[in-house]
Amino acid sequence: MKNSVHVIVFAGILAVVCSILLYAVTQFTEPFRKMNEETDKDRNFLSALGVPIGKNVRPKELLGIFDKNIKVRKLGKITIYEYIPETSASGKPVAVAVPFSGAGFWAPIKGVLAFEPDLLTIRGIRFYQQEETPGLGGEIASKWFQNEFKGKKIVSNTGEAGFKIVKSGEAAGVNAVDAITGATRTSERVQIMLNRVAKELYKERKNYVR
Amino acid sequence: MSDNAVSLPSAPGNIKPDRKKYRETFFGGIYTTNPVTVQVLGICIFLAVTIRVQNSIVMGLALIVVLTGTNLFVSMLRAYIPRRIRMIVEVAIIATFVIILDQLLRAFYWDMSKQLGPYVALIITNCIVMGRAEAFAIQNPPLISMVDGAANGIGYLWILVAVALVRELIGSGTILGFTILSTSWYTKNILFLLAPGAFITGGLLIWVINAINLSLKKEKAK
Repeated sequence: MKNSVHVIVFAGILAVVCSILLYAVTQFTEPFRKMNEETDKDRNFLSALGVPIGKNVRPKELLGIFDKNIKVRKLGKITIYEYIPETSASGKPVAVAVPFSGAGFWAPIKGVLAFEPDLLTIRGIRFYQQEETPGLGGEIASKWFQNEFKGKKIVSNTGEAGFKIVKSGEAAGVNAVDAITGATRTSERVQIMLNRVAKELYKERKNYVR
Repeated sequence: MSDNAVSLPSAPGNIKPDRKKYRETFFGGIYTTNPVTVQVLGICIFLAVTIRVQNSIVMGLALIVVLTGTNLFVSMLRAYIPRRIRMIVEVAIIATFVIILDQLLRAFYWDMSKQLGPYVALIITNCIVMGRAEAFAIQNPPLISMVDGAANGIGYLWILVAVALVRELIGSGTILGFTILSTSWYTKNILFLLAPGAFITGGLLIWVINAINLSLKKEKAK
């Protein structure tokens, strides 16, 4: 009996101490974590859009660059991020970014797709949140994969909206890139996400390009 | 309250272990009772991170910190932990420690935490941490428990890096991200990026180490 009391008291104290510790640490670190996540996202948007940023730019400066150069607005249901350089006199956007997200192989994938002002030609792509298998699906975060997208279009030669990720070596069309060998599932899921963006954007496009 | 605590029969209490025991504990973790090659613990993470040398180094370093820390706390509380629920208590201590570490990394070392990705949280389920708490820290004083934790962490680190060197080279043609085998003439062997690659490389490594140990023993016997 005495023994059981000890067990219960010990377990109770341990639970309370652990909970208080965890609560205190998460509360204390929250603003720092939020700040990191936010700047990381902004950095990816800026880099996809091709906004010049220094290598060791501080988080606060980065937010400044974002605020000065990027205009956020709605196009239909889609939120778009227009890059209008602060030095530009015409005030016309140089590039437009559209965020996208979807289910990955292990965890949700979030990324951003940047277009030329025609909203058809891809200027850059970044994945700012992904937990795919390193070395396989994780390659979506690598330069060679992202560089494949530059200059590709979200419509096929026959004018149909959509984007394809095909087996390496297959004749790549104007709206297709090579998939990652050994990461078929990740490639398929990224294709689904990009297809959705392509179709939605193509629908809204006539309201944008004048 | 401490009267109620059931002390383990082998708990040495306040007797200070001598230097020899420290040395044995240290080299035990690194080689003679290495967590991977002898205890065969922590294999799930071993399979996952040895795809890249860089990931292996970061994981190994993280594990050294976690093992040293959790062994310290478990050892300090060992006189009060009721024997019947000791494993649950160990898990609670490990989980709390790892989550706090993860939060701090996310707040102050964002780049490192991004690299580690989901692996930090996985450390909680790494059998080595639980294994060392249960096999060593719960029956030994704090200082030597920390030595045991650090040594097992180092033992894990070098095995991870050794296997990752082979897997990354054959699987991706790179080491630490630098291209060694150019793709112009080398076809990457994807098998080495998948779990079987780790089993093959790890198995061969255990074989080599056992062979070396055996020949050493024979030489001693002569």
